Amino acid sequence: MATTKPHRNLVRTYAQDLRLFGTPTKRAGLAAMLIVLLVLPTIVQDDFWLSVLIYSGVTAIGAIGLNLLTGYCGQISLGHAFFIGAGAYCAALVGGDLNLPLPLWLLASAAVGAVLGGLIGPFALRLRGHYLAIVTLGLIFIGEHLWRNLTWLTGGNNGTSVLAQPTIGPVDLGALELAGENYSRNQGYFWLVWALVAILALLTKNIARTRPGRALCAVRDHDQAAEVIGVRAGRYKIGAFMVSSAIASMAGALFGSYQQHVSPDDWTLLLSIQYIAIIIVGGLGTIFGSILGAIFVGALPALIDEYSSAIPGVATEAGGDGFISVFALNQAIFGLLIVLFLVFEPRGLAGIWFRVKAYFKAWPFSY
Amino acid sequence: MSTFLTNVFAGLALGSTYALVAMGFVVIYKSTGVINFAQGGLLALGAYLGYFFANNLALAFGVAILLACAAAAVVGASVERMILRRMVGQPPFAVIMITIGLLFVLEPLITAIWGFDNLPIDNPWNIRTVEVGGLVLGVRDLWTIGITAAVVVGFFLFFRYTSFGLAMRATAFDPEAALAQGISARRVYAVSWAIAAALATLAGITLAAGPAGLSPSISFIALAAFPAMILGGMDSAAGAVLGGLIIGLAEALTRGYQDELFSWAGSNVSVIVPYVLMILILLIRPYGLLGTKDVRRI
Amino acid sequence: MRMTNNGIGLASRAIGVALSLMLAVSACGGAGEDEGSGGGKAGAPGNTAGFDGKTIKLGVLTPLSGTVAVIGQPLTAGNEVWFDAVNAKGGIGGKYKVELVQEDTQYKTDLAVQKYNKIKGDVVAFTQILGTPPTLAVLPQLRTDKILAAPASLDALWVREDNLLPVGGPYQIQAINAMDYYLTDGGGSKDDVICTMIQDDVYGEAGQQGIDFAAEKYGFKVANTQKFKVGTENYAGQIGALAGAKCKMVFLVATPSDAAKIWGTAAQARFAPQWIGQSPTYTGALAQSAVAPYMEKSVWIMADGTEWGDDSVPGMKTMADDMAKYAPDQKPDFYFAFGYNQGRAMTAVLEKAVENGDLSREGILKASTEIGTVSFGGLTGDYQYGPAAERNPPRSTSVFAVDPAKPVGLKKLKYLIESDAAKEFEFKKADL
Repeated sequence: MATTKPHRNLVRTYAQDLRLFGTPTKRAGLAAMLIVLLVLPTIVQDDFWLSVLIYSGVTAIGAIGLNLLTGYCGQISLGHAFFIGAGAYCAALVGGDLNLPLPLWLLASAAVGAVLGGLIGPFALRLRGHYLAIVTLGLIFIGEHLWRNLTWLTGGNNGTSVLAQPTIGPVDLGALELAGENYSRNQGYFWLVWALVAILALLTKNIARTRPGRALCAVRDHDQAAEVIGVRAGRYKIGAFMVSSAIASMAGALFGSYQQHVSPDDWTLLLSIQYIAIIIVGGLGTIFGSILGAIFVGALPALIDEYSSAIPGVATEAGGDGFISVFALNQAIFGLLIVLFLVFEPRGLAGIWFRVKAYFKAWPFSY
Repeated sequence: MSTFLTNVFAGLALGSTYALVAMGFVVIYKSTGVINFAQGGLLALGAYLGYFFANNLALAFGVAILLACAAAAVVGASVERMILRRMVGQPPFAVIMITIGLLFVLEPLITAIWGFDNLPIDNPWNIRTVEVGGLVLGVRDLWTIGITAAVVVGFFLFFRYTSFGLAMRATAFDPEAALAQGISARRVYAVSWAIAAALATLAGITLAAGPAGLSPSISFIALAAFPAMILGGMDSAAGAVLGGLIIGLAEALTRGYQDELFSWAGSNVSVIVPYVLMILILLIRPYGLLGTKDVRRI
Repeated sequence: MRMTNNGIGLASRAIGVALSLMLAVSACGGAGEDEGSGGGKAGAPGNTAGFDGKTIKLGVLTPLSGTVAVIGQPLTAGNEVWFDAVNAKGGIGGKYKVELVQEDTQYKTDLAVQKYNKIKGDVVAFTQILGTPPTLAVLPQLRTDKILAAPASLDALWVREDNLLPVGGPYQIQAINAMDYYLTDGGGSKDDVICTMIQDDVYGEAGQQGIDFAAEKYGFKVANTQKFKVGTENYAGQIGALAGAKCKMVFLVATPSDAAKIWGTAAQARFAPQWIGQSPTYTGALAQSAVAPYMEKSVWIMADGTEWGDDSVPGMKTMADDMAKYAPDQKPDFYFAFGYNQGRAMTAVLEKAVENGDLSREGILKASTEIGTVSFGGLTGDYQYGPAAERNPPRSTSVFAVDPAKPVGLKKLKYLIESDAAKEFEFKKADL
């Protein structure tokens, strides 16, 4: 009998198990995603959906950072909006006032974020769980005070223009020209933002699946037990804070550069709560979940908006007839969907994904 | 001196409101281990129910308060029964997110029913004042302090001397052991939501009985009460009261002496003082002033 | 090992496929330069984004849910009623009906940008963008897209912006006229202890700027300034400081629910200076609240136009009639009047554009520079439009006292003051 090939899912070594794109399905999935990333903006040219997806991409980046901290390292932070704001102002300074190109203002923001994260990180050594969450919430308010009073940097209450341009060398993603075809600013930003999502997802995935990632999980599950087996819990907590806020600051820089104007009203507690929502809805401790969550939370209101006006008894304009205005209804439906969704799948979107995957992995014996 | 006393009084009144909200947080946290982000929504709902009873049904204010508390308690218990009951044993993060989702649902529902305008709630307090020893005190502020004090005493008696109070403490301490003793954890959970909603209603109505009346933004006060809850210790009702009063006093006094003492730190330092204070105290006592240090085993 | 190599190979092949696919579609994939050409000179305007030959569509970006909806709702109702009335008379140029496309921003900048992108292709211009932060967030795109928008706030920042079509006298003007009135008919003197209490944001700063300008012109000093954050619960500290400074007059920049708390605290503290409030400080509900008696005694409000139901002002009568006809449930509200005025300014632009036979984006921007002075029937001062650099906003403001018996609770003390100092105030182009 000829030698039978092992099944594609057979794993023989630990290294094999850790491969990023080990199976043909995964590789096909990667290829499909890359194609979507490249082709989507040429098909969906509508500025509305592009801008929705650009904001979703920016939040996906921020959510990846937060998930690293909260999902992998177990440190809850409500202060994410603070780091995002810091990144935006840094982009305004480095990319706008100093007029440096994209890679520099992006990296400068990341550096500022890392430093700030390094300053906040030590709190995690002393505080635990919800206590840490609420203390980081204090960051939001202290940050807001700073943003309103440091007028030279932030423009005070008025906010400041962010003139950081998306230019890499001679290439200007704001007005891309390729093979004689002009691409709009929204198309350029879509590629920029989602390429960065892909790069950062890959980087964090690499952190998560290697030694530091295992250390983070050990700290999350029990920091003292982690110390016993030789993981320097304190170092990893601070490190997670630094990486997470560096990523958050990059998201902020992109947000500012795309929107071109930011003000202290942009970085409120609601933004932090939105990020928490994203990683929980997406699935804690999964990179893919952060991205799914960001799309879900970012694009769902737009989708609801498309269809809710068809519901009878709904007022579609201010002061119109109907029990509830379509605008209030959109909010309520959004909240309700989150509630229902988590009641049925507490592990979030990634949970559904894993179930689907498990189903097909064991197919035809899945039950 | 009288400026100082006025500020202290204002701080106590504000602190009492924080304390009421913070106790609501603590009751739910203690029995179910969840921070209830929907507390602000329940607060607004309770206050609007108070408006319904006091204005639309034209009931006496005291009766309206009691009915609103009862109605809000029913809402709280049914939310627990219909939604959160299903989440027992699920990851706490998902449960927290559900409370956030509830907040997103409650706010538009409230505005759909009552609209966005400021509504004056019929009440005997408003901006009336009494003069005590040369000091002018707001009647509403006095009632807020009084109600909070009564609630604190009631809490103490309830948990100390009633069997259901004991059952709640037992469940908070060790749910499984409590179950083994025949205590219904379900009832405990439902009752804690009911209590939290009633507390939120009290806070909401005392706020709305002031000159500003009632508007959807009243729910924001719940966020301001976070530091109070944490400062006192998340699982201590007494801590919530202490935390509330400390935060209230700190805020009012910094505001009162902003010009003399704090002008170097920018305008409105009083807004961030609660948070700074909270951070400092937590660095010294990581479980708050009266919170229990959780014993960790490996 | 083999597997890994294979993986890389496949991935790179996939990228190759994707790239070639992209190049293939790129022939039709760019969205960079598709701009509807406007239409012919004179004659009927050609079809363009937001105009199908019959109906002109206008965008509205405003908070219709959330806490700021209390302003967004009546303002949008004002827009609606104005255009309902225009349509009933036949429409723009007597033949083109106007339709509003409303989107909810929740007063958030990112949502404002998304919704702007959503409807910008369907409208010829925006007749309302509510709020300073959302307007600032959308402004860069308005410039690149060459679209005209009417901001629904009285910031001085807007006056010199080509893409914005403001109405009404900016906050600074209100503040200067307030001081003028106080120092003349109001019976105050420049030696009084004059104080301010302002909200800590752009809106508050605008009022403070006006007062500081007036201080220089009239030679008084601002003795004490108290700032507060929106939504503060307790104002004992600020009121204590103002009382301690023995203020005889306090200029207040706030929104209604904060103002109610501030005046309530002041009443309780038995502190009764002359308060003068910026227009958004007030809403009709305050006149029915417990603070009303105190306000009757101690508060004046600066606002545009005249008291509600004052038939001596022609614009007020028309507006009241229109409101009764098209929005019978609407309560009298100054935000409603603001939305109504915005409609009038936008209509002037559209009429001009139709006259020019060009409803394209450029055509509308051009029309906005050609409409000259627009009169608002006495609801707010005349606005002299033109190229942004030459615009001259109204310099007039009316003073009101609180009187619960009146429809919105306001009784006019003096109709449209136009002080010399207000005329001298210069609007500079801000670096936005």
